Amino acid sequence: MEQTIRKTNKTVKILVLCVMYAVMILLAFTMLFPYLYMALTTFKPMEEAVRAGLHVFPEHWTAVAYREVWKLVPFGRGILNTLTVEIPVIVVGTFTSALGSFAFAKMRLPCARVLLLTLMSGMMVPFAALFLPQYQIYSSMGLTNNLLPLILPGLFGNISMVFFFIQFMGGIPNALLEAAKIDGCGYFKSFIHIMLPLLWPAMAAQGVFWFLGIWNDYFAPSIYLTKTEVMTLQPLINRLNATQGGRDLPLVMTGAFLSSIPLIAVYLAFQKYFMSALSITSGIK
Amino acid sequence: MKKQQGSKLIKREKLTALAFVSPLIIGFVVFTLVCMVISFAYSFTNFNPISGRMKFEWFARYAELFTHPTYKKAFLDSIANTLFLLLTTPLCITVSILIAALMNSKKFRGKTVFRVILYLPAVTSVVAVNYIWRYMFEENYGLINAFFHTHIPWLTDNMLVKVAMIIKNVWSGIGVQVILFMAGMQNISDEFYEAAELDGAGPVYKFFRITLPLVTPVLFYSIITGLIGGFQIFADVELFAGGQYGSRTIVHFIRNYGIGQNLYGLASAASFLLAAVIMIITALQFKFNKWVEYTD
Repeated sequence: MEQTIRKTNKTVKILVLCVMYAVMILLAFTMLFPYLYMALTTFKPMEEAVRAGLHVFPEHWTAVAYREVWKLVPFGRGILNTLTVEIPVIVVGTFTSALGSFAFAKMRLPCARVLLLTLMSGMMVPFAALFLPQYQIYSSMGLTNNLLPLILPGLFGNISMVFFFIQFMGGIPNALLEAAKIDGCGYFKSFIHIMLPLLWPAMAAQGVFWFLGIWNDYFAPSIYLTKTEVMTLQPLINRLNATQGGRDLPLVMTGAFLSSIPLIAVYLAFQKYFMSALSITSGIK
Repeated sequence: MKKQQGSKLIKREKLTALAFVSPLIIGFVVFTLVCMVISFAYSFTNFNPISGRMKFEWFARYAELFTHPTYKKAFLDSIANTLFLLLTTPLCITVSILIAALMNSKKFRGKTVFRVILYLPAVTSVVAVNYIWRYMFEENYGLINAFFHTHIPWLTDNMLVKVAMIIKNVWSGIGVQVILFMAGMQNISDEFYEAAELDGAGPVYKFFRITLPLVTPVLFYSIITGLIGGFQIFADVELFAGGQYGSRTIVHFIRNYGIGQNLYGLASAASFLLAAVIMIITALQFKFNKWVEYTD
C-alpha cells in the first residue's frame, strides 16, 4: 500500500516536471522564433516575403539583401557613428562619475547629502521635458546633424552610475586610502591608483548597460540627425525602411539583423557576466 | 598653529572634493536644470521658433490642451493610449514571476540556457525588435494571421495596435524581469520552505505565502521602473506602429507638436504635465522603498 502511494507520488512528480519543461520549451521557442524568422527573411527574395500564407523558410535562397543594404545606406558609417558616440561617453562619463562618487563616498564634501539628492532628482525628469530647449539651443548653434548633442551630456557623468558607485565605494575600507595619504599621496592620485582599480567590476557592470542604452537609443538621435551620413545605427535602419516605403522586407530585416548581431555576439560571449551585472545594478543581490 | 594647519587641510580637502563633483554639477545645471526652467517658461508662452513669436500668455497653453478643438482630442487620446499601454507592466510582471518561480524550482535543470534565451530581447536592437514584430503582426502576409487563419488588422485598428504593442513589449520585457525575480527568490532562505513543508503546505500555498511576500522589493522596483518607462514610450510608436493614431503616446504628442509643428508652448505644457506625473511616481518609489525595507 505504502509502496503504491510512493509510486504514484513519483509519477506525479515526473508528470509535473514534464509539464514544466513543456512550458519552458514552448516559451523558449516563442523567444527564439522571431530571431529565426528574421534571419530567414533576410535570405528571401522581395516578393516571397510579402506572400500570404505560412511560409517560414525561403523557397529561393538569395543573399541579395546583404549586398544591397551597404549600397542604400552608409551602414558601416552608421556603426562608426554609433561608436563615435559610445566611446567618449562611456570612457569620459564613467571617469567623471567615478571621480564624483569618490568625493561623495570618501571625502569631506560640503552639503554632500543635499547635493546628492539634488543630482538624483534630475533622474526623475523625463527627456521629453528637456529636449525642446536642448534642440532649440543646439540648432541655433548649428549643431543639428552633428553627433555632439548626443555626446556632450554624457561626458558630465551619469547619476544612476554615481549612486551605484557610492554604494560600492562604501564597501572599500578607508584604511587603504589613509595609508596612501600618509605616504603623501594626493586625493587625485589615490583616486587613480587605489580607487579606480578596485572600482573596476562596478564600472564594467554599469558601463555594459550604458553601452546598451546608447546603442539602442532612438529618440534623441532621431531628433538631431536627419542626414544619413551622420546617423547612428538605429535611426539609420529606420531610414532604410523609409527609403523603400517599407516594401522591401528582406532588406529591412537584413539591416535590423545586422544591427543586432554585434550586441548579441558580445552578450552570448559574456552572458554570465551580464547576469551578475544585472542583479548588481538593480541592487537585488 | 597645528590646529590652523589642520583646518587649512580640511578646507583644501573640501575644495578638492567640490572640484571632483563639479562635472556632475555642471552637467546637471546645464542639461537638466536650465533646460527644465526654459521648458517650463515656454509653457506659459506661445513660442514658435519659426515665426519667432513669443508672448507670455499665462496658462493659455495648458487650457488649450484640454479645450482647444483640435489639440484636445490628440492630447487626451495620447494620454488614454499611454495609460492603456501601461498594462504591459502588470502583465509582464505576472508572467515573469510565474516563470521565475518555475525556473527556481530545484528539480529544474538548464536554468542558464533558459535565462540566456529569455534575456536575448534586452540586448537586441530596438529597431530590430520592432520591425520583426511589425512584420509578424501584418494583416495580409503576417505570420500570426497566417498561423491562426485570421485576418486581424493588428496594425491599423486603433485598439488592436495597442494590444499588439503590449504583446511585443511583454515579449521583450520578461527576460529582465525573470532574472530580477529569480535573483530575489534565491535570496529567500530555504528554512521558510522547509518549515512550511513540515506543516504540510503545498506549492501553491508556498508561492503565495512565502515567495510572493518576500519578493516585494523586486516587485516594487519592477512596477516603478515599468511605469516610468511606460510613460515615456516613443520609439514603438514610430518603429512598430508607423505613427498609427491609436498608438500615439504622450511623448509622441510632445515631439509631434514641438519639433514637428513648432508649437513649443503647447508641447512644453504637455511635457511639464508628464514630468510632474513621473516625479510623483518616483517620489512614491522612495517612500515605498523605505516601507519595503521595514517589512522585510
